[in-house]
This record gives sequence, C-alpha cells and structure tokens, in this order.
Amino acid sequence: MSDVITIRKGLDIPIDGVAAQHVIDKLDIRLYAVKPTDFVGLTPKLLVAEGDAIKVGDALFCDKNDERIRFTSPVGGMVKAVVRGEKRKILEVVVEADGKIETSEYFGFSENSEDLKNIMLQCGLWTMLRQRPFGTVANPDDEPKAIFVSAFSSAPLAPDYDFVMQGRKEFFKKGLEALTKLTKGKVHVCFGHETLGGVMRDIEQLPTANCQLPTHYVKGPHPAGNIGTQIAHIDPINKGDVVWTMNIQDVAVLGELVSTGVYNPEKIIAVAGPNVANPQYYKVRAGACIKDFGFKENSRIISGNVLSGNKIESDGFIGAYDDLVSAIPEGDYYDFMGWLMPGVKKFSFSRTFLSGFLPKLLRWKFDTNTHGDVRPLVFTGYFEKVFPFDIYPTQLIKACVIGDIELMENLGIYEVEPEDFALCEFIDVSKTDIQAIVREALEKLRKEGV
Amino acid sequence: MKRLENWFENHEPKGRWSWLGSTYEAFHTFAFTPKTVTTSGCHVRDAVDLKRAMITVVIALIPAMLFGMWNIGYQSLHAGFWQNFWFGFIRMLPMIAVSYIVGLVIEFTFAQIRHHQVNEGYLVTGFLIPMIVPVTTPLWQLAIAVAFAVIIGKEVFGGTGMNFMNPALVARAFLFFAYPTRMSGDNVWIANDLWGTDGVVGATPLAELAAGMKPSASALDMFIGTIPGSTCETSVVAILIGAAILLVTGIASWRIMLSVIIGGGLMGLVFNQLPTANCQLSTYFEIPFYYHYLMGGFMFGAVFMATDPVTAAQTNIGKWIYGLLIGIFAVMLRVINPAYPEGMMLSILLMNCFAPLIDHCVVALNIRRRKRR
Repeated sequence: MSDVITIRKGLDIPIDGVAAQHVIDKLDIRLYAVKPTDFVGLTPKLLVAEGDAIKVGDALFCDKNDERIRFTSPVGGMVKAVVRGEKRKILEVVVEADGKIETSEYFGFSENSEDLKNIMLQCGLWTMLRQRPFGTVANPDDEPKAIFVSAFSSAPLAPDYDFVMQGRKEFFKKGLEALTKLTKGKVHVCFGHETLGGVMRDIEQLPTANCQLPTHYVKGPHPAGNIGTQIAHIDPINKGDVVWTMNIQDVAVLGELVSTGVYNPEKIIAVAGPNVANPQYYKVRAGACIKDFGFKENSRIISGNVLSGNKIESDGFIGAYDDLVSAIPEGDYYDFMGWLMPGVKKFSFSRTFLSGFLPKLLRWKFDTNTHGDVRPLVFTGYFEKVFPFDIYPTQLIKACVIGDIELMENLGIYEVEPEDFALCEFIDVSKTDIQAIVREALEKLRKEGV
Repeated sequence: MKRLENWFENHEPKGRWSWLGSTYEAFHTFAFTPKTVTTSGCHVRDAVDLKRAMITVVIALIPAMLFGMWNIGYQSLHAGFWQNFWFGFIRMLPMIAVSYIVGLVIEFTFAQIRHHQVNEGYLVTGFLIPMIVPVTTPLWQLAIAVAFAVIIGKEVFGGTGMNFMNPALVARAFLFFAYPTRMSGDNVWIANDLWGTDGVVGATPLAELAAGMKPSASALDMFIGTIPGSTCETSVVAILIGAAILLVTGIASWRIMLSVIIGGGLMGLVFNQLPTANCQLSTYFEIPFYYHYLMGGFMFGAVFMATDPVTAAQTNIGKWIYGLLIGIFAVMLRVINPAYPEGMMLSILLMNCFAPLIDHCVVALNIRRRKRR
C-alpha cells in the first residue's frame, strides 16, 4: 500500500558541510535544558526549583492551561538554573546530569488508547506530538483525523534518516503501531523516493501486527520532506480538522517505550554546516548542550535547519523538536557594489548572478548576510515557483499582513506552518520576514479561537 | 574600498541632519550591499535583491537602447555606423538625463518626506521613458510627463510596489493626450538636426496602414528595426535579446510574454478572416498576423511593459488571461480605431486596471475549490 507523490516546485539549498556518516557517542554531556519557547503558544507553569533533585521523566514544568501536559527532564540529576527573560518569562530550565545511568520505567500498557495517552503524558513524550493547524503540542482531548510521520528530510544539511535510524527500525515500527491507537483515522508515513530499496524500505517490510499503515514515497526538491507539503498532497487540512505529526526519532522513542517500558529520549543529531570543524553525527539525549561540537569563531549556530531553525548561543541547547544543529558564518560585511558585480560566489534561485550558470552539484558556503535591504513587495509570481501547495502564497501573505481572518481562512491558512514559507522567504527579493508574518497570523487565529 | 566604507560609517546623518536618512541610505546601499544579517526565520538569504533585479531589467534594455541610438542617426543621416550612432547618442543623452534627474529628485523627495527608503523601481522606469517617445519630444514636455508619471502614476499610491499602472506608460499616455501633435503624425519620428525638436517627414508602418496604404518597409526591415518609430522600440531583434536575458534570469514572466504574442496573433488572424471588400481599412485587415509583432511597440510592450510584476496579474492563470487580452486589445485598437495608431500602450494600461479583477476571480476559484473539498 504505497504511492509516489512527485513535488515539482521547490529548491534544494546546497550548503557546504554535510555531516559525515559517522556517529560519536555524546551521552555523557552534563548540561541539558528544556525550553518553553520551543513550544508554540505555551504558557509554562514551573514545577521545580533550582537545586531540586530529579529523575528521567520527572516534570520540570507543565502547560498552565492543561496541567496533564508535562515537560520532563531527559536525564536524572539536579535543576541547575531557571533562566528567565523579559517580564520573568521562563526561557530555559537547565538540568545538570549526575552521570548515573538510570531510566524510568513505565508499565501498564494495554490495548486501551487512554493508557497509552496517560503514559505518554506522564513521561513527557506526549509533547513531541504536535498538531496542525498552529503547530502547538497536541491536545489529548482532540480526535485527529490523521497522524503524519515524515521518514525523510529534504531541508538543507538535514540528517539522513536512512543512516540515523539504523538499528532502530523495530522500535520505529512499534512506535507507528502505537500511534495508530491515537487516531480513528490513518497514520501516514512518507518515505523519500531515494530511499526506495534503502534501509527505510525494510521498515515497510516489517510485519505489521494488526494495523495498516499507508506509506507514501515522495520525490522532488525541498520542501518534499516537510510534513506540511506531505499533508497537503495526501489529506489536506480543512477548517476544523486537526492533524497530528511526530518526528521520526520520537516515534522510535515511543516504540521503545511501548515495547520495553523504558523512556529513553535519545536521538542522533547531525551537526553540520560550513562553520563546523568536523561535520558528523552525535548520539545525545534531548535538549543537550551543544558547547563541545567544535564551532568556528563568528558563527551563527542554529538549532534546526538554516531555513526555519532557531538561533542559539554557542553554549546553548538543542531544541525539543530538532535533530540538526547548523553553523554558518555571520555575514556582517559590506559588499562593494554587490548588486552590480557578476557574482560568481553568490547563490541565487534567480539566474541574475553568474553563479546561476555554474553546475548544480556545487556546494556553497552560505552566510547570514541578507544581501540587500528590506523593500516593499515588488516581484510577484516568484513565490509560486517554490511553494508546492494548492494555495496562492502572495495573496495569503498579504492577507496575513492585513490580518483579515476570513480571507486567511479562505486562502488556506490552516494548511500551513511558518516553515512551509521558508523557501519563499529565502528567495524573496524584498527581504521580508515572511515566516514571522505567518506565525503572527496563526497566533492571532489561535488566540481568537476561530 | 575600506576608506569608503569607513567614510560612510562615520558620516551617517545624526542630530539635525537625521532627516536626510533616506538619502544617505540610498547612496550607502548603492555603494555597498549592506552588512545587515538575518534575525529570525530564514538564516540564509538568496543573493538577489531589488537592486539586482532592477539592474537586470536595465541590462536587458540595453540592446534595444543601443540599436535605438543607431537608428535615430540612421533615419536622419543615412551615414556611416559611428556617425549614425553618435548622432543618436547625442539625441538620446539629454532625454535620459532629464528622465532620471526629474524622476529621481521626486523619488528622493517623497522618500525623504515619508522616511522611507528610496526604491529602486525608478532605475527601470527612468530608463524606459526616453525609449518609448518620439525622438523630437521637447525636453520640457518629457520632464512634465515624468513628473506626472512618478507623482500621479506611482507616489500617490505609496510608491513602487503599490501602483496599479505602469509608470512609464503613464508618462507616454500623458504625452499622448496632452501633446497629441508631438506624439503622432508623420513628422515627429525623425530628427531634423542634432538639437532641435523639428522633425522630418517619415511615416511609421502603423501610420501608413491607418491611412489605408501598405507599409513601405519590408518585413525584414521592420524585424531588424530600421524604420521610423519611437526611439528604441523599433528593433524586434534587439528586443528579443532583451527578452532572452529576462527569461534566462527568471526576472520576467514567460507566461505574460507568450500570451501577449498569442493574443495579438490570434486577433490578427481573426481580422484576416473578416470580409473587408471596399472597406477603407481593408489593407489593415489583410496584412499577415505577424506584421503586428514587427510594427510599432508591440514587442517592446510585450517584453518590457506587460511583464511589469507590480501592475500585471499576479496569479499564473491570471497572467495568461491578462496577456492574451493585452494582445487581443492591442491589435483590435490598431486595426479598427484609426484615432489611435498604436494600440499597445492603451491596451496594457487598460489591462493594468483589470489585472486585480482577473486575480480576484482566479483566487475566488481557489477558495471555492477549498470550500468544496
């Protein structure tokens, strides 16, 4: 039961510094953090104080609006700091590991979906389930029409899941089976077309206990691997629909939880980019400190991919949903007559620079320079080339800017997340912060409870 | 370079000069692509910016501009290559200068008053305006037209990106209606001497056809562009080189270019089929459809005017409709309305007005589809 979906609109961004297929065990990192800011729209209620001793899976804070949703520690140890920002907003809860290897075990699984829900909520794995629209943590009372898992990523420098998931295929499969209990609809899994016959192919071959998992193969350029693109092509979200999504490695964590009873939030992350000394993979626990991964001076370090990740400090922590840390040079330099020069070293989607005529296989050293100033939206018909949705991106962005809720709904705002607009933002001639505009519009919709 | 960098950094207007911020920003970003870095969202950005996009259009216009200069001289002198070119160059230079100076002064003033950045749009508009008027246009008229186009055609709506009509065509339309004797007829297209505004008699193919005659120039002459006409619109070859640049770089929409050409050709074919015996316009009805591409400003309009991203339809389906209708109306106006020998300008301006409506309908279809899903 599988089909091939072809994405034609999009753009692969060829950044230099792809992670070498080599995993370093970094389970001995001492500092970890859970960041409330990783979770869209969350108002945290702190449950611990600095100095408290905690175990794996103990709650650090919970959602003020739904105290069942608990955000838990990935390690045992001690709460080292609660970092606050403006208006005493909680930014990070930092935990120092005590180095002892211990796990928390959970039992009581049955065929009952309520039991599964309760255990996931208790150990904190529930927070890895996100809902669309809005991108918030899934509401346990909702009945999603489907759950989507993307088994590949097309983002720049993204980890190769074919490699990362080696040895965890059983758990992944078990996790998928567990997910089927959470919805009356289907659990869709999307594989990359290139992995046909690869390691991921075996997952489809594994015997299924009592469920049918529709699998899809997606081919084409980025954003083919984005969950939003896949949902839009398989089962688009209409007003009132709720769809849940989970990252592939978290599905494996869920699989381990249901089959062994152990909550073990380990994942393999890629550390990549032109400003990483040795781009490679690391095995870490969720929320690990990224200090020792060998970044060069004057780097922009990003938890996630360069298109939609979050900026973090060089001693910061990897984000809850991320399995990639990218580092690129900061671009704070002037470029003499940059708009007039031939531009052999500048990557552009348009072919207005000589670089556009160089071979496609080249990899580029991108930096954070904006390559121009902000201007009003002048060029049109451009976003459409990298936006593989049945949505008019220019019109939707404009509706978001003016905040017209009815128009946004009509134009399909529920089908998108800011990351779906990342490529539009990348190629935008006017240098508009499109993802911020979309996030703001979604938050407005969410708060008005439409 | 470092010294210039420092000079700019040290001379940023402050205190009582801070009102000059927009002007400073314009010159600074002209000299250096700024060192601003991304803050949120996408951490990397495409190298293209509005300046680059606009300069690409100007580069695409240069073949037509160079040919136009040569042709101005050729029409007046019929002399050697460099003599022709030099004559045309001297004729064009003041027009370009007036267009840029008047336009940029207004642009800077508006930007300064509004504390906006100076927008690059005028780089193209200022280049386009002298290319689409007769060579004998008096400079003062050109200056008024430029001022009208920039203020009424663009700035009152909020500047580049907010206007609904192509400013360069607004300038031409202003001249056309305010000073009709200088914009049509048979003695405005060829300059008499190096400086004056007097013209020599020389009819454009469009005027000949409107008068019921066959064009005196051959199709090849019209294709190459050695015919009287607005300064830089005559050479289809030069325009096609520009079109190639715009399409390869991805700056202009191929959908619009192609659909304008299809629309014009279709309408030409329709006129060919109509019974025209003894009608005064019978010659015009009977010319081969591709003559419409070669005469007047059809190709120039299709490649450089209709594709203006701000004033064109913005949806892909909308672009097809918009382009087809431009082509159809341009040929229709030419053939059956002798009062306007050139239909392209009015046709594009008309469709500029309808572009938002076309988009509205296309988007409404998408909305309906989503609701039914």
